[in-house]
Amino acid sequence: MSDHNISEHDFDKFAEFFYRKTGIKFEPSKRYFVDKRLTERMRETGSDSFRHYFTTLRFQASGEELQRLTNLLTVNETYFMREDYQFRCLIDSMLPDVISRHDPRKPIRIWCIPSSSGEEPYSIAMYLLEEWEGINDWDVELIASDIDTQILATAQKGIYSERSIRNVPASWKRRYFKSVPGGHQVSEDIRDAVEFTRINLSEPADVRSMRNIDIIFCRNLLIYFDDKSRKVAAEYMYEAMSPGGYICLGHTESMGRISPLYRVKKFPAAIVYQRPLEAK
Amino acid sequence: MKHILIVDDASTVRMYHRNILEAAGYTVDEAVNGIEALEKALTGKFDLYIVDINMPKMDGYEFLQQLRREPMHQAPAVMVSTEAAELDHTKAYFSGANLYMVKPIKPLQMMTYVRLLMGEESA
Amino acid sequence: MALKKSRKKNTTQSQNEKRDCNQIRNELLSDDASSRRWAARDIVNCPGATHMLLDQLNNEEEPSVRQVILSSLTQLGDSEAVEGLVNCLRSEDASLRNEAIEAMKQLPEEVAPIMATLLNDPDPDVRIFAVNILESLCHDDVEQWLVSVIRDDEHVNVCATAVDLLGEVGSEISIEALTGLKDRFTEEPYIQFAADLAMKRISGD
Ligand SMILES: C[S@@+](CC[C@H](N)C(=O)[O-])C[C@H]1O[C@@H](n2cnc3c(N)ncnc32)[C@H](O)[C@@H]1O
Repeated sequence: MSDHNISEHDFDKFAEFFYRKTGIKFEPSKRYFVDKRLTERMRETGSDSFRHYFTTLRFQASGEELQRLTNLLTVNETYFMREDYQFRCLIDSMLPDVISRHDPRKPIRIWCIPSSSGEEPYSIAMYLLEEWEGINDWDVELIASDIDTQILATAQKGIYSERSIRNVPASWKRRYFKSVPGGHQVSEDIRDAVEFTRINLSEPADVRSMRNIDIIFCRNLLIYFDDKSRKVAAEYMYEAMSPGGYICLGHTESMGRISPLYRVKKFPAAIVYQRPLEAK
Repeated sequence: MKHILIVDDASTVRMYHRNILEAAGYTVDEAVNGIEALEKALTGKFDLYIVDINMPKMDGYEFLQQLRREPMHQAPAVMVSTEAAELDHTKAYFSGANLYMVKPIKPLQMMTYVRLLMGEESA
Repeated sequence: MALKKSRKKNTTQSQNEKRDCNQIRNELLSDDASSRRWAARDIVNCPGATHMLLDQLNNEEEPSVRQVILSSLTQLGDSEAVEGLVNCLRSEDASLRNEAIEAMKQLPEEVAPIMATLLNDPDPDVRIFAVNILESLCHDDVEQWLVSVIRDDEHVNVCATAVDLLGEVGSEISIEALTGLKDRFTEEPYIQFAADLAMKRISGD
């Protein structure tokens, strides 16, 4: 007999565990949402009770079940202008700080990992062109990486649905998209401005080639890694970054669950993390 | 209403402290380690911090040291730990704590010091 | 000025790839922190790596290098690495202690055999750290270990740490010991609170 009932205490135990692991906190008001997904996973893993399922979640060596569940409990649709307060922060705070100590002969380097199908790096490109005055004085290199070569090919084509570009301001839509069969294509100059490369953030040989990055966007990836790979990935990014460089994580992610290497930095639009300037 | 941040990796400790403080009419927020505490401290406004020493990712000393570099965030801090060692005392004050207490803390003792640190009349 | 692609193609396999173990060992002592970090990563494939890393861990002042050393020790995870991490638990340096705990949490199988010894360490702080590590141990004895702690350990804070975890992993067999703990520390409101909470969670009502 299996008992998929989740008691209030089960919920509390789970919520505390999940908070400790991910930094995401589910209040009791979210019980319906959480219970539904827990029950679904209990059924699919053939667990006969909450206790049984909870043990799998805590101790499974591969961490696969925790990853699955995290996927169900978070929104991972990527679209243009997603979490754009960070792009605001890029323009208003991070870039001004970076250029204040940057060699003017060298380009600013921004790295999106994972880029997924390209919405994020293209959004950044548009933000830079539309909102940042510094673009007249500085060269910017925008590098976008993902582990999945198929998704990189999709990104390079740059064709998106109406839904994906729903948050793009109308004037930008006119300037940077044209209608093509199958959707809206990002203009050629924007596509050309982004360099797509395949990188596995868990592979030292891949990451070693990345150097002198000033700003990293690493959103909605580390939350799916286990503790060990998350920490190591943060260490690789540290290596790729110039001292004083910034890193932005997804809104449900916190460096507090990942690594003590970075300094917490509060800007008006967002909290970001900085590789300490003085650190070697 | 005064707002207090509890920083401790043990959920039972956070709940216990929360119960005491909420019963006395304060509002409370929680963090599991120093990094999360910094994020909350820098974005929120707290009248007092209650901080454990041993925590993963960033310990209590480091948290207070970084917090004290921020001119806007100088609210008093109580450091709590499991040992009464002289060395920990010294290090806590050096890091920017205003008071050092040894666990486990009794509710009355907690309230006396919390009120004192926030400059309130004791009840 | 404008958006542009990076001109130099990624020079694949940078200089570091073809170094031999002697070179890596020397670089672990380099003045440049970045070289030390890469050496600490690359050394895992060289003989005697654990020993070298533990030596460097004790001397290393740059936190970023220490982090990488700990990651590599976790990856190596042999008994010598575990022994070195245990020594870090006794360090005066709070961040090193907590980093060692985190590393040991990643090595449940290697840590399990020395758990009983750690839980009986004369230093109560080390016993507390041992209970912290238990949190990640998938081992049949975890609950039994926690029960012995709350039944026998003299130190209130060691018991307090164990109760916190029992609320998460405990079952009916812990109830008696939890009741016993309340009787041992009648004057400690925290223990009363924590034991009651754990019992509520275990019996689920
Ligand atoms: C949820 S998407 C995030 C997209 C975008 N950054 C966002 O926040 O909307 C996750 C992406 O991570 C990529 N990915 C998974 N593992 C990876 C790894 N080890 N290295 C690089 N990318 C990875 C997947 O291919 C997928 O495109």
